[in-house]
This record gives sequence, C-alpha cells and structure tokens, in this order.
Amino acid sequence: MEENKLKFSRRQFMGLLGTAVAGTAMMGMVGCSGGGSEKKGDGKAASGDKAADSITYSLTADPRALDPAYFDDGESAVVSCNIYEGLYGFAEKNAEVKPLLATELPEISDDGLTYTIKLREGVKFHDGTDFNADAVKTSIERLLEPNRNSDQPYASFVFGEEAANSGVKTVEAVDATTVKITMRAANTSFLKNLAMALASPIVSPKAIEAASAGSAITTPCGTGPYKFVDWTKSASVTLEANEDYWDKDNAPKTKNIIFKIIAEGNTRITSLLNGECDIISSVDPSSANQITDGGYELFSEDGMTINYMAFNTDEGGICADKEVRKAIAQAINVEEMVSAIYGEYASVANSVMPLWMAPYDKDVKQTAYDPDAAKATLAAKGVTKLACITYSTARPYNAKGGVELANMVQGYLSKVGVDVEITQYDWTTYKSKVQTDPYDICFYGWTGDNGDPDNFMNLPADSNRSMNVAHWDNEEYKALIAKGIATPDGDERDAIYKQCEEMMAEEQPWLLISHSKNLLGYSPKVKGFYYHPTGVAFFKGVSKEA
Amino acid sequence: MLKYILKRILMVIPVLLGVTIIIFFITRVLASDPAPVVLGEHATAEAMAAWRADYGLDDPIWMQYVNFLVSAIQGDLGTSYYTHTPVASELAARFPATAELALCAIIVASICGIALGVLAAVKKNKLADNASMVLALIGVSMPVFWSGILLILLFSATLHILPSSGRVTPLLQPTGGTGFFIFDTIAKGDFEALGDVLVHLVLPTVTLSLYSMAIITRMTRSSMLETLNADYIRTARAKGLAKRSVNVKHALRNAMLPVSTVIGLQLGSLLGGALLTETVFAWPGIGKFAVDCVLKSDFPVVQGVVLLVAVIFVFMNLLVDIIYAWLDPRIKYGAKEEG
Repeated sequence: MEENKLKFSRRQFMGLLGTAVAGTAMMGMVGCSGGGSEKKGDGKAASGDKAADSITYSLTADPRALDPAYFDDGESAVVSCNIYEGLYGFAEKNAEVKPLLATELPEISDDGLTYTIKLREGVKFHDGTDFNADAVKTSIERLLEPNRNSDQPYASFVFGEEAANSGVKTVEAVDATTVKITMRAANTSFLKNLAMALASPIVSPKAIEAASAGSAITTPCGTGPYKFVDWTKSASVTLEANEDYWDKDNAPKTKNIIFKIIAEGNTRITSLLNGECDIISSVDPSSANQITDGGYELFSEDGMTINYMAFNTDEGGICADKEVRKAIAQAINVEEMVSAIYGEYASVANSVMPLWMAPYDKDVKQTAYDPDAAKATLAAKGVTKLACITYSTARPYNAKGGVELANMVQGYLSKVGVDVEITQYDWTTYKSKVQTDPYDICFYGWTGDNGDPDNFMNLPADSNRSMNVAHWDNEEYKALIAKGIATPDGDERDAIYKQCEEMMAEEQPWLLISHSKNLLGYSPKVKGFYYHPTGVAFFKGVSKEA
Repeated sequence: MLKYILKRILMVIPVLLGVTIIIFFITRVLASDPAPVVLGEHATAEAMAAWRADYGLDDPIWMQYVNFLVSAIQGDLGTSYYTHTPVASELAARFPATAELALCAIIVASICGIALGVLAAVKKNKLADNASMVLALIGVSMPVFWSGILLILLFSATLHILPSSGRVTPLLQPTGGTGFFIFDTIAKGDFEALGDVLVHLVLPTVTLSLYSMAIITRMTRSSMLETLNADYIRTARAKGLAKRSVNVKHALRNAMLPVSTVIGLQLGSLLGGALLTETVFAWPGIGKFAVDCVLKSDFPVVQGVVLLVAVIFVFMNLLVDIIYAWLDPRIKYGAKEEG
C-alpha cells in the first residue's frame, strides 16, 4: 500500500529515468565530440591559452604534506622546493652549498659550535610579511625539542637530538638580519642539512601561527619563486609565479607550474607523448627508448644513491666470516649483472658514495670476479646454502626492484655450488623483516639526503638495524665516522672517508652493485630544466616555448 | 514497506559491525608495522616505540577496536598516520571522483547493455545475437587494465584525440563546488571546463563500463528470452499487435526487473572504487587511494575506506530491493512475518 503515497507513478518514474539517462548520454556525446575536436589540432589535452604559459610535471604519488617540517618524501620535496627556500641551497650539479636566503656562507667558530648567519634584506614571504631573523628563529624552533613532535620525520636528522648530544642547542636572533645558531657538538654536515629541501626551508611565521599547534601549515607560504594556488588530493598541485620574487636575475619564467599525480609508469609516458605533461619523472629504464623514439628528451644524470647486497655479519652466521663474504663477492659478476638489469641507466659502483660526490677515490679496490677462487673457498668453508631476502618493489636506487638482483645472484652462486633460497616481500614489510628475519644475504640501498659523505658512510656504523642491515659492528670504522663528522671539510676529512671506503672494500660487509641515474622525460619545448641529484627540480629558470 | 525498510536498516548494523571487526583485525594482524613508513628512514627504535604508544598501537587489540568503534559511532574515523589529515576529509576529497566515474559508467553500461541484450534476444541465433554475445564475452573476459591500456594506446598515444590521465586539465578545474565536476561546471556556466571534463571522462568511462555492460547484456538477453516465450506475449502477438510494440511495451518492461537488480548491484560495486581503472587513468578516486594506504599500513584510512564501501554496498542492496518491490507490486517483502 505504501507505493500509493508516492508522488509519481511507476510509469512516470520510468519515463523520468529514461529522460535523464538519454539526456546525460547526449550531453556526454556532445561533450566528447566537441572536446575531442577542440584538442585535435595540437593533439594535446592542454587548456588553450592558459596552458601556453604553464609547465606540467608528473609526480608519481600525492605529496605527503606541503610543509617542509612534515614530509620525508621526494614528491613533497619537488613541489615544496619551489615554494620555500632555505638559508642555503645546493649548486646546480652537485652538493656544494651556496647562500640563498643568507648573503654568504656562515661564519663558523673554531670549535665548530657557533654559526653566525647574515640574512638577505628586503625579502618577503608570499603572504607579504617580512623575512628576517625572527622568522628564521620561529621556523627552526618549531623543529627543536621540546616543540618537536613525532610527525616531523626529518627534524632529528637535520637539527639533532638532545639525548644524543647532537645538533642545534639554541637559535638566537641577534638583530633583524643576523642569526646565531649554537650547536651541542660540532657537525660538519650541518651546513649541508641547512641546504636540504626537507625540514630546513624557512616558513612564514604567520602561516605557522595560523596552523593548529603541532600540525602542518594548511596554506603553504615561503619566499620561493612560486606561490601555492591549489592542491587537489591525488590529482594535482598548482603553483603560480611569485612576481615579487627577491632574486630578479632568476625570476620565474613560467606563469604556472602544475604537478600532476600519475602513479602508473606507462600512463606517465603516454601523458608526455600526448602533450598532457611536459616533464615526467621516474622513467623506467626499459621504457626510456619510447621517450627518445617519440622525439622527446631524456634526462639521465647520476643520482645520489647506492644499491648493494648486504651480508649478515651477526656472530654465528655463515657470513660472519670475512673470507666467506669475500668468496661470495668473488662469485658474482657485478658488471655483467648491472649491465643486464639496468643497461646504460646505472653505473657499476666502485665506492659507497656516488661518482660525483667528493671525496670519491676511483682507486679503491673492490673484490674482483673470480668464480674459481670463490668455489674453492666456499667448498673449504662448507658453505652450500644461503638464505636471501629481497624486496619486490621498485626503489629510487633500483628501478627494477630487488627480485631480479636476487635471481641473478642465485644463478651466480649456483655455479659455485651454493643454493640460495630467496624470500621476497613488499617494501613496507621488508623494512621490518630486515630487522627480524634470519637471513644470510639481503638486498638494500640508500638514497642520500644532503650530499655529505657522512650521510652514506655512516650507514654501516649505525646502531639501527634497519639502516645497518649488515649488522656490522666495527669499532675502528665507527671511530673513523665519529672523527669525520667533526672534522671540517678539506683534505683531512677527505682522507678519513677514503679510509672508510677502503675498509668497506676490505671487510666486505656489503657487495656494492650500482649507482642509479635519475631518469626523466621532457618535451623539447621545455628549456633550462634540470633535476638536482638530491632529488628535487627547481623551476625558477625553466621556460617552455609556445 | 516502511516496516520492511526499517527492518533492513536495522540489519545494516550487524553487517557493518562484522565488516569493521574483520577489517580491523586483518589490518592489525596481517599488515606490517606502520611506524617505519610514517617516521621515515632515520627513525630510531625509541622514536618508533614512542610513536606506537602515542597512537595507541601498544594497547590490547580489543581496546584499540573499542576505541575505534566509539570514535566511528561519533563520526570520527580517525586521522591518517601518514598525512595527519582526518580520514573523513581524505575520503570526502576523493569520493566525488569515484562517484562521478561510476555514475557515468553505469549509465553507459545500462544503455548499451540493454540495447545489445534486447537485440540479441529478438534476433536470437542470428548474426546480431552472436555479435552481441561475443562483445559481452569480451567485456567479461578482458581485464580492465588491459582494455584501458589498449584504449590509451589507440586514442591517446596514437591518435592524440583523448587525454589519458586525470579528471580535468588542472588550470580549468572548477573550485569550491561539490566535487562532481560535470555538475560544478554546468552550475558555473563554464562550458570550456565542461567539455574538458567530459573529454577526460571518455576513456575511463568506456573502460569501466565494459564489464558491467557485458553482465547487463547477458542478463537482458536471458530475461527477454524468458519473457518472449510467456503466454501473454503469444496472446499479444495473436491479437495482431505490432512486433515493436510487443517487444518494447510488453516484453522489455517485464524483462527489466532482474536487469534493474543487476544494474543496482553493479553501481554499488563501481562506487566502491574502481582500483584498476583509477590506476591506469590516474583517476583521483578512493580505489587507488585505498591501495596506497594498504601499502603504507595506514590503518585508519584503510578502515575508513572499507567502512565507506560497506555502507555503499549495503545501502545499494537495500535501494535495489525497495525499487524492485515498487516496480513489481506482486513482491511483498516480509509478508510471512506480517501474515
């Protein structure tokens, strides 16, 4: 009986439904044909006049946050480095520190504990407020204890910890254009930390005040060449040129920078070839030809990574014995493996640090491929089986994931009489498993943060087992690392890290595999684009021909 | 009917409770520890322990569940571990994209599926029937990611006439509206943006509608064949009614009942997030987002997405049953209990 109370009959309902369906379908068809022909000329799904002065860059995932204090991912860094600036930045091709919001490199006291920094005058944040010493103090102090919170992933790395007696003790605004930072202990890499896109960039105090306590700012606001316009979750982030940018010689050349989120690698390539994006990141080495064959440019430069296999050196394990580690290393033809898996888009690693990072020494001697010697040693040591864990997910230092590596190593070791049992996990699970699983060998890697040698060389000295997956515990090596971090840049420091490299080659807690290249595709119309080895892309000098 | 609806709504409660229990315990038992993902590469063991304590992950699992449930009942689905944003906001930002695509796909699937199904039934065992069934077979068999990639290769990579990714060209995106871009652009009278939105919808809609279209085609065909053999159809024909009139007015209308059920359930399924389609076309909906969060062990978001999908499914089922009863007065729900 209830249906009698309804306002329209079944017949009317069906009629209305049919009309609505037909209407929507017609609208769709009209839209399809109209829109299609509109875009057909240049074949590009760009937006007419508005797109002529914009560059679209594809990200592989949504940024985690657009507040430098609250992210640790590359996607957020690529966007944020165009909105915010730090006191210092890096040179174009390497990790040499250059003044940015500071006028010159800091005056560092002889004991390395005090940094006096002169600030640039006349700089304004995007919200119109002044950049000055108070702003620097506010921006840094929210990342210091006790203001720091657990949602700020890079706070302790950049600014240290009281419990470890490291990092920044106080920040003082001496006057409007002078800041004095006092350290708890000397740390040569601190200056490079200040140049990073994570945690260090200076944020408008007004924006910090407007955000809820202990939360990321909601309206990104820095002093950078581009201003924040919009962030549509999972879709895009839009920035517009800051017309009041302080560095008139390097003023932004493009009106809008759009970061479009495209997770799937093939779709990214199609979006480039179809003109929907001007630059695409994270190109799979096996797809690089599609980009060059399509008449587009391929950016291929060394990144800041190391891809390696670690031996579990825990006492009682098979690989606790240095001779076993050496023998396994002798059984693996690294050069052939790198060439087979990565082609020309990775270089064979002869050192822990990438080629471009000082103080690289090409004379470090790694274990040479010698399967006969390996077979004899492993037989003498009674090694016939090894447990191996690896990751299935692509990583910045290994675009192919760890399974291909594990399979090839399994093949090499089978030739010298050793069976390798491989267990694979997705990356998130793997991070836990390297701390708990009883493996003999595992695959791992590292993407550097700040271009400082300590950032790479301290990994095998770390007490955190997810960082030091070889579980290597060498007091001599640790002493060298402690000395290196407190020694000012120069020949003495270079010699320390060269000695670290030699110890790593000699003691063999790792088998070095490769340094990856950053691969991006971009339109030939885009001019002045480069991707910094620290994993960010600055757009202030980049333009696009109409 | 009202009693039936109330009864069905009350039945939703144990269903949703069951769903929350299953997803809560699956995420806690099977998923990996979120602390290393959230805190990053440099996190110390102490920092991770402190973080777990802060977020209540050290509490007994039943206590964590009760806390979640109490908050969820109050409308608080928690905050994403990874982005520190309320789960409800994360879902609200992405659901319109999924819903718009699902609605377009179901409309296309329904129109094409019913048309092909009727054609196949009327032309039984003839070329049109065989062609329709082959199309339906392809639609059911071809994986979504494969058909999506083929369409992208043809229309985007080769012919350059349709975009391959996203919902709209970012600079044309309507802001401050409902999140349903077709509606928002029409409401603002921005027809350039409307065209752009519709162009972006074409490939994902076609891809997503293929499977549903195939199901609807097959259901329409079998239902039509059954109806065409009924006595009243023979009578209508014997009375000399026109073939078209018999097929459309008498047969199709009666054959639509089971088809409407299928359409409703397919819509429920599509609204739950079309993971593969959203991934292939970089469509910013909840399907792709949910998988990202599973990989990051972002428990509150995973729970929120599953709860949302469960609510959609349950209510779509309810809606289908109500419409079914309304369309066919012979159906009396709960008659046994009432009688």
